[in-house]
Amino acid sequence: MAKYVLRRLVGAIPLVLGIATIIFFLINLAPGSPIDLIVGPGVTREFREQMIRNFGLDQPLHIQYVKWLGAMFTGDFGYSFSQTRPVRDVLLGFLPNTVTLSLAALFVAFLFGVVLGTVQAVRQYSALDSGLSVALLFFYSMPSFWLALMLVLVMSLMLGWFPVSGTVSTDYEFLSFTGRVVDRVRHLALPTLSLALVLTAGIARYMRGSMLEVVRQDYVRTAHAKGLPERVVVFKHALRNALIPIVTLVGLYLPFLFSGTVFIETIFAWPGMGRAIVGAIFQRDYPLVMAGSFFFATMVVLANLVADILYAVVDPRIRYE
Amino acid sequence: MSSRSLSLVLPGLPQLLSGRWGAGAMALLTWLGMIAILLLRHERLVAAVSGSWDEQLAFATVIIGLVVSWAWSMRDVRSSHEQQVVGVSQWDLAVKAFSKNRTAVAGLILIVALYLIALVTPLVAPHPPNLQYDIVSERFLPPLGKFPLGSDQFARDVLSRLLYGARISLTIGFVAVGISVTIGTLVGAVAGYFGGIVDGAIMRFVDMIISFPRLILLITIIAIFDASIFLIVAVLGLTLWPSTARIIRGEILSLREREFVQAAAALGYPKRRIILRHLVPNALAPVIVAATLGIGNTIVLEAGLSFLGLGVQPPTASWGQMVAAGRNELLDAWWLSTFPGLAIVFTVLSFNLVGDGLRDALDPKLRS
Amino acid sequence: MRSLSRTAAARAVFAITASAVLSACGGDGGTRARPVPNVAFCQDVLPRVDAWVAQAREANPTPDDPRFGGTAVVGTIGEMADGMNAAVSSDYSATQHQQFVNLMTLVDYDVDANPRPYLAESWEVAEDNTSVTFHIRQDVYWHDGEQTDAHDVAFTYRVVTNPETAFPNAAFWNHYVQGDEGVEVLDDFTVRVLMEPHAEFLDPFRTVAILPEHLLGDVPPAELKQHPFGTQCPVGNGPFVFWSHSPQERWVFEANPAFPEALGGRPFLDRYVYRIIPEQTTLLAELLTQNIDVYISPAPDQAQRIVDDPEVELLRYPFRNYVLVGWNARRPQLSDARVRRAITMGTDRESIVQAILQGYGTVANGSVPPFHWAYDSDAPGLGYDPDGARALLEEAGWVDRDGDGIRENASGEPLSISIKYNTGNQQRQDIAEIMQAQLSEVGIEVTPQVVEWATLLQQINTPEVRDFDGVVMGWVVEFKLDDTDLFHSERIDEPFAWSGTRNADMDRLLVQLGRTVDREEARALWAEYQEVLIEEQPYTFFYFPERLDGVSTRLMGVQMDARGEWLNVKDWYLDPASR
Repeated sequence: MAKYVLRRLVGAIPLVLGIATIIFFLINLAPGSPIDLIVGPGVTREFREQMIRNFGLDQPLHIQYVKWLGAMFTGDFGYSFSQTRPVRDVLLGFLPNTVTLSLAALFVAFLFGVVLGTVQAVRQYSALDSGLSVALLFFYSMPSFWLALMLVLVMSLMLGWFPVSGTVSTDYEFLSFTGRVVDRVRHLALPTLSLALVLTAGIARYMRGSMLEVVRQDYVRTAHAKGLPERVVVFKHALRNALIPIVTLVGLYLPFLFSGTVFIETIFAWPGMGRAIVGAIFQRDYPLVMAGSFFFATMVVLANLVADILYAVVDPRIRYE
Repeated sequence: MSSRSLSLVLPGLPQLLSGRWGAGAMALLTWLGMIAILLLRHERLVAAVSGSWDEQLAFATVIIGLVVSWAWSMRDVRSSHEQQVVGVSQWDLAVKAFSKNRTAVAGLILIVALYLIALVTPLVAPHPPNLQYDIVSERFLPPLGKFPLGSDQFARDVLSRLLYGARISLTIGFVAVGISVTIGTLVGAVAGYFGGIVDGAIMRFVDMIISFPRLILLITIIAIFDASIFLIVAVLGLTLWPSTARIIRGEILSLREREFVQAAAALGYPKRRIILRHLVPNALAPVIVAATLGIGNTIVLEAGLSFLGLGVQPPTASWGQMVAAGRNELLDAWWLSTFPGLAIVFTVLSFNLVGDGLRDALDPKLRS
Repeated sequence: MRSLSRTAAARAVFAITASAVLSACGGDGGTRARPVPNVAFCQDVLPRVDAWVAQAREANPTPDDPRFGGTAVVGTIGEMADGMNAAVSSDYSATQHQQFVNLMTLVDYDVDANPRPYLAESWEVAEDNTSVTFHIRQDVYWHDGEQTDAHDVAFTYRVVTNPETAFPNAAFWNHYVQGDEGVEVLDDFTVRVLMEPHAEFLDPFRTVAILPEHLLGDVPPAELKQHPFGTQCPVGNGPFVFWSHSPQERWVFEANPAFPEALGGRPFLDRYVYRIIPEQTTLLAELLTQNIDVYISPAPDQAQRIVDDPEVELLRYPFRNYVLVGWNARRPQLSDARVRRAITMGTDRESIVQAILQGYGTVANGSVPPFHWAYDSDAPGLGYDPDGARALLEEAGWVDRDGDGIRENASGEPLSISIKYNTGNQQRQDIAEIMQAQLSEVGIEVTPQVVEWATLLQQINTPEVRDFDGVVMGWVVEFKLDDTDLFHSERIDEPFAWSGTRNADMDRLLVQLGRTVDREEARALWAEYQEVLIEEQPYTFFYFPERLDGVSTRLMGVQMDARGEWLNVKDWYLDPASR
């Protein structure tokens, strides 16, 4: 097992490097440079060239690439033009926000998904089953930004239950400790809901399938035969076993959460990685785009590895060489 | 009234009445819809014969729709007397399981209806989709006035744009997924069958693309090379094929050792034939499921791209583009975003229901 | 169900709360620790700022007036790129905050765009208009305690005229003597700058804020752009002291207790927050729920909602920008001025203003916006005249020879042009589409083409490329109007010469206008310039949009006009009844 993990990790390196290289050349071959975006009237040829020099964009592409690679290995991700800060600071600054949102969304989605999936399995083919399927898929089928806007309009504007946007309120610094916690949770609510509703359908689907499979197992039939009440059978015996493969979903959903949040972040003014990277693409902020993509790619690779490992851990029938 | 004569006039009704509501509804709705077009739009219908190619296509659809629904219903009614005592194949089991799933069947009907509507749009749409009426006095008109679903900021009819937008959105979904399934199947089959180094190399490449944050790749490419429908479809398809490849490869790996494949090899069939004729058809089940779900995903993704300004460009209307363009007016001119948004939701919902139904039907473990 | 859901629910709630708690950690409520960025410069300077502010607060107690106190929040779509670093930023919001919030400029303008003293107490202009001598106020202090003096002014001047800094608006200083030779420090509070006589020479000193020499003097100019002073820990001398900046989220400023009484003294507000919200619907929702007090530049379509709500009001005023379609006269179809005039005549710009701007704007016929003293509302323009357009096109040799509805010239080439515009801008897209529809009626085939912003800039700005026929663009002007970069033939290979104009009259007028100091003299020249502009039609000037702002009624004293939204931030106060 350890050997397998090691092999996967080693194999991941060329993978991630390959991705980073592709993105580097892709974004650098794009027409338009960051200079064009900040140039003002009367800027002569010399000024433009000076700016290009200031940003280090005057060197040939392969030299820039090699320099960038070298810098990456030492943890220096360069300087972000669009954010006027070192890229490392940009990433570190936005990462906690993205992580908070993603984790919250995952938990809520898992909670709803597990509960609803179990209900569906226990009442398979009933109206409740179909109804829940349709309802969950309804939310899954919505463009996430539309769902988010609807939530803002209904929950914030019309009902006033939640704040409209932001991570904290303006008076956050003046709140007591509990006040701050409550404030953060309230601001987390709508973005989390927007993300979680989309994930819930998938998790419920898996949970339903998993429960159905478990329920057909011999030990469950034995429990039934023993005359145990349905409730005990389902929750004490079946559910725990059914939950096991769901755990691996964490690995699958994590990358989606990190990259698919740009819409939510824009609408809820959430300062996260998604928005930063998309903004960087539009402004041709090469260092930030590359570092961000590199980061995402690493996340995906690691998440896949984690998922596979978890799967092996929970299912003793699987052995990796 | 015997079911035969009933079927003569209203094909689909007898099946509906006898409980086979799925097939019956499809036939009946098609029939009624086409008759309605015949009656309400006969001038356009006549003009369409010599019109542009999509008008001719619409005309053909109407005629074919009428003929097929009528003929199927007649044949079905006639042959229902004989009992089917043929052997039950996996495929038949799957079909049966699928038809029991009401929501899946409903989704299927909706999809078929959508594609039919998309085909006959030139005959049905009340106005040309890009025609601007008086922009000063006729913009932002609410629904149920001069325009059934209201007008947008250019005094264009929302309903007509919705109908024409259906073609764009459905086409994008279909073609993108078509591209990805084709490429993915070929690549995955080759990797799965040949194994070894070929497999290793291909899967390494596949892993690389899958690990790519897909949205970022889409945004980067479309932002760089101007957004045209062609590019959007191509990029959507080209970023989706790796997951199909993985699925196919997994299936082929397990099928490869089965007796019928070994028998084919022993018989001396060329590799190409084994792959294409024996392996792939048996591996297709999960791919069909993934493809159906993929179409829905693609439509939603296009909407997301439009939100960022990278989707289908105006004046062409796609649903995603309409939702994104109308989002600033959600409070006042709510109809601009809501109708295309609902269209997206119900379409994608249908695809997802069908995909789920297929998955349930094709997986023996899930049938009770 | 109960046991599981309770555990799962408990786990979820715990996890969410834990992350919320962990993020809430960092100072307990009550005492507020200022966040200090992990950069040497900031760690060095911010404690000094805190110390000085604390001492200033003690020395200048808040007057007993109910207007003092509270926090005002301004919400807007964009982040302030480059922050308070006046030497490298060109972003509108950023320059506004440099001028009015955190830093100070030497002069500012009154309502009629006449300069009045600000950081400079007074100034003298030499008889021959070749120099200006400024006398700096002696009661202004940087927020870390150092006094603001002539050395800061001299430093700023040297920096912005230094090519190595790559100051984005270098054109401001075209008529000034650059670098060290252009500025003399006469004594600690007197400084002289040298120039050649030209119009509106004080305008750059209204726009460019003064930077602290004692903090930035040793920084190599080429590295100024990356210096943390801009976005991480600016130190100003203006009415508000920098508190914190969360990138892409918010800037927080606090009142400067020691702001000179003669200039108004301490601002009424205790705190001023600048919030970045990238989605217009969200901004509107925040305004309507009273979470932000000002919504900068809502879309015209949202204006009605703001007008209808009793708790917010809509401010509208003429502004400094206009929207145009620039024609590339280097292209054969567009090289004839008659064709360009016909295009303008074939476009119903008035109805477009109604449709796109909901009436919040006026049709533009030239490059002088309505707020400007040189604006003549009676100046002639080309009205909507499709018949006239057709006649002009015929005269220019474009006739529909094959009956397809599109005109061709004598060699059979069709009058077919593309109009480019950038993604994400609804108004520009609307213009392109409407023009397509309207111009087809006079026989011109228009193809709208959308291009991503950075790519578009490269296509129109790069002299060797100029890959466009027409481009929908916006242009922001300063109070000193100078179209030289746009239309002068000598600038034809510089980035902004989109139109490729070569017109001797225009050249002459542009130069003369640049030199004429007296406004009355200039007016006649502007009128002549307007006529040449119409004759030449390098652009189809579309409209001058009014600037819109949504302001909550509980925020009072807000004055906004062409000088900017933030022009009197220090005089804003919250309605005492609402607190």
